[in-house]
Amino acid sequence: MLADPIVALATPPGRSALAVVRVSGEGAFAVARRVIAGFRPDPPRRATLATFRAADGTSIDRGLYTVFPAPASYTGDDLVELSCHGGLAVPARLVAALEAAGARAAAPGEFTRRAVLNGKLDLLQAEAVGDLIDATAPAQARAALAQLEGGLSRRLAQLRSALIDLQALLGYEIDFPGEDDGPVPLERIAAETGSVRERIEHLLATAPAGERLREGALVVLAGRPNAGKSSLFNALLGSERALVTEVAGTTRDAIEAPTDVMGWPVRLVDTAGLWDSADPIDRLGVGVSRRWLAAADLVLLCVEGHRPVGEDEADVLRGRAGLVARTKSDLHGAGADAVSAETGAGLDTLRTRIAAELFGSRAALADLEPGISRERHRTALARARDALEAAVPHLAPGGEAVLAAHHVREAASALDEMVGTIDVDEVLGRVFASFCVGK
Amino acid sequence: MERFDVIVIGGGHAGSEAAALAARSGCHTLLLTQNVATIGQMSCNPAIGGIAKGTVVREVDALGGIMGRATDRAMIQFRMLNRSKGPAVWSPRAQCDRRLYREAVQSLLQQLPNLVIRQGNVAKLIVTGPSVAGVVTLDGSRLGARAIVLTAGTFLRGRIHVGHAEGVPAGRAGEPPAVEISQHLADLGLEIQRFKTGTPPRIAGESVNLVALARQNGDEGGYWFSSYERAVHPRQLPCYLTWAGPEVKAVIRQHLNESALYGGMISGRGPRYCPSIEDKIVKFPAAERHQVFLEPEGLDTSEMYVNGLSTSLPAAVQLDFLRRVPGLESVQMTRPGYAIEYDYFPPTQLAPTLEVRAVPGLFMAGQINGTTGYEEAAGQGAVAGLNAAAHAANRDPVVFGRDQAFIGVLVDDLTSRGVDEPYRLFTSRSEYRLVLRQDNALRRLLPTAIGRGLLTPQERRLAESRLRREDAVLATARATPVSGPDVGEMLRDAGFSASEAVANATELVKRQGIGLVRTLAAAGVFVEPADAQWAEIEIKYEGYLAREAAAAARIARMDAFPLPRDLSYSDIVSLSTEAREKLQRHRPATLGQAGRIPGVSPSDLHSLIVEAARR
Repeated sequence: MLADPIVALATPPGRSALAVVRVSGEGAFAVARRVIAGFRPDPPRRATLATFRAADGTSIDRGLYTVFPAPASYTGDDLVELSCHGGLAVPARLVAALEAAGARAAAPGEFTRRAVLNGKLDLLQAEAVGDLIDATAPAQARAALAQLEGGLSRRLAQLRSALIDLQALLGYEIDFPGEDDGPVPLERIAAETGSVRERIEHLLATAPAGERLREGALVVLAGRPNAGKSSLFNALLGSERALVTEVAGTTRDAIEAPTDVMGWPVRLVDTAGLWDSADPIDRLGVGVSRRWLAAADLVLLCVEGHRPVGEDEADVLRGRAGLVARTKSDLHGAGADAVSAETGAGLDTLRTRIAAELFGSRAALADLEPGISRERHRTALARARDALEAAVPHLAPGGEAVLAAHHVREAASALDEMVGTIDVDEVLGRVFASFCVGK
Repeated sequence: MERFDVIVIGGGHAGSEAAALAARSGCHTLLLTQNVATIGQMSCNPAIGGIAKGTVVREVDALGGIMGRATDRAMIQFRMLNRSKGPAVWSPRAQCDRRLYREAVQSLLQQLPNLVIRQGNVAKLIVTGPSVAGVVTLDGSRLGARAIVLTAGTFLRGRIHVGHAEGVPAGRAGEPPAVEISQHLADLGLEIQRFKTGTPPRIAGESVNLVALARQNGDEGGYWFSSYERAVHPRQLPCYLTWAGPEVKAVIRQHLNESALYGGMISGRGPRYCPSIEDKIVKFPAAERHQVFLEPEGLDTSEMYVNGLSTSLPAAVQLDFLRRVPGLESVQMTRPGYAIEYDYFPPTQLAPTLEVRAVPGLFMAGQINGTTGYEEAAGQGAVAGLNAAAHAANRDPVVFGRDQAFIGVLVDDLTSRGVDEPYRLFTSRSEYRLVLRQDNALRRLLPTAIGRGLLTPQERRLAESRLRREDAVLATARATPVSGPDVGEMLRDAGFSASEAVANATELVKRQGIGLVRTLAAAGVFVEPADAQWAEIEIKYEGYLAREAAAAARIARMDAFPLPRDLSYSDIVSLSTEAREKLQRHRPATLGQAGRIPGVSPSDLHSLIVEAARR
């Protein structure tokens, strides 16, 4: 799957004035045309102002787009860059609209990988190679999936086996006419197809479980002025995202950034702008802050050093899932809850605590699973389900088994990354084991 | 020393095609074989074609090969398999008269102006530096060549087993094996392994009670494998269907330890899809009966081939169980079945041109590469012949893509994945089975045939005019609006409501599945059914074909990404252990090939890209 259109946010997620979304691959222009009102591929490499629209026609944002026709683009394929307003919501909606228009969420490092494959090596920098190394994550992800408890790994193994069975039935039907066992009734193959489809439906419904896994759990940092919330916020987001610069007086809202904590999706919110202000006008801000706290899945209360937790602070945690982080441990000394945004000491412990609090026993396994996008797996499952659905009509009387086989193969390859590539020898092996074939 | 451009060793199905295409490429070619009388011999079942294989025959023919024309001349029954499963997997198969087939091959080869046919046994290759320069025969004569194609079939250290005896050295029943050349190749550093295969007994047709059996006739109407020749088919014969039931099973079970296979006399692996009757009974004990096809060996012989009862039991046991098959109660066995063990060279030692990597100028094709089947042999013969000629003439090699021909799938599977049992083609092995059809083989391979100068001017004209006629039908279909009372009637006949709005002929074919010839006739346009078949299939599969083409283009990009020859896979820590081991062993030439090795995952490929980029 090298040149199908892919989409990704090219700038770090979170608060920023602008964000850039890229879509690249064969058909990238067609995808862009469905989202960008009045899209034109000419002239290339020139920014054009346009309205970006969602699938339902509603306007997402007004921004600039730039067209890079192949091969003069970063990836070497047709590429469109869309600049929109920053923050969380707008870029996310834009990416979603481009996915709805036919692009697939890019795998980690996929843009760079395509650049390499297209012979654009001269454009590669050390950083890009590092990016590629990160792209080996799916292997670890598979290993992690294999170890996941809760029956998921068993269910994926069953799904894989069911897909092999289905391909074996179709392989037998097409490649072995006139054998001892006679033909397999097409209704049976159709029923098997339906049952694999149901398995996938079931996986889609239950794994990943719950809103938190799908949308990311909301973690709100709270604390008195100067408690080190912003530093901790940046530290938790990681080094590449350390560019949250605030201009005094411009921020009256909270800062939200999606990230992952030990592999689990989290939306991290810094309410710094609200708590730090002594200005009475910011009572309005306090109201906003309350709303964030009410919505939080977890409140991370920042308290410097070993100072006792005050009444106002305890209030924040009352009735809510919360953790206390003893900040600035580099200045105030270490303890079990101690963390230093400066030195990084205690950060991993804090991440583990956050993950454990939010995701319970699942968190113990999560460290095996970095960089994996569950959204990608959901998309893959949905694609597989749709492909199996498309197979069924070809198994009706007068249909062509070979077209059903085409769709089933499509379903299997959509799930390559989740269940492991199914090799033709495995399918044939299943045929030989199940049927007495050959003369 | 007498000199040739290309010497082909062996006159079986691989050797015949290699010799024909090397000669057609313009090379002064020698076909050297143990016995010129057995050139084109069908050593196992008397049939050509079948699932995927029939398409290979059409592909070899499109390139100017022998097999399609010989089959047309020798065909005594034709059937299109899979007719109900969609035209993508229609599979032509023909029963052949063994003698007519052999004669056709020999006569077709004799007509080639650049080809010399000679009898002789090769003792060794002349190797200068790393490359081959010729051969030395057992009688001591030396023959020079720029390229050599070795197609030794099952003859390399072949050993035939009938029953629990030690086995008899033989290449085929009644023919001596080739021993010296095998040892010689081992001395050149080639890895050798053993495979086995088997064949069933033959019986005298007049001793069969045919009236008691189900008769299987061929299809009505004509079919020709060849795109260049309309041979007159011989008289048609039926096959007969019977079965091996509990009595047969009991006899075989009782004597199982006398079977060469189950008596432990054979160590090599055999093909799972071509099991002996012993295998079937042991592996599927619950099956009550197994089908047996009695296939005629030819028009001027009453001998029949007992398809389904391949065995290596002693001859007396074979006769015993044969007589328990309905219809065969008083059968006379003319020749017993046997198992044969032979040397093959694991094909991962070969480049995608079928050239031995370690010995430039030496090409290998057919069963010695670990395949089974006449058609698989012929397909490799074509590739080896074309590339031997290219090597001799310093031209670019010929490599068929997996989306271009089943021959491409075959050669790529062999050279990049290797084999662990005798390899046979199935449509399942192709990612592009809607593209690789029997009806469009000429279209897929004609550019190569023309580019390599393989065709006579008449053949080329014939082929081009055929494709033009097919193109014209497709263009007509796209341009012809269909409406009016005839269409209404046609739709009603097909069970649709007549009020359907119809844009043009392609819509009717695609949506309603009404035949193109009929659809066009309703619009007052009359086309030849033979010219319309391709257009009809293309219209029907339009969207699917576009998707397969897009997928193929993606793979092509990976195939265009070379991997350094000297990459030390064992040192790349980011690879999985399995991938490291397999890549080190297979040494793929491209990223695409690496991806097709089982056990190499997408993330392993990412690591390879990084490694290649770093260097």
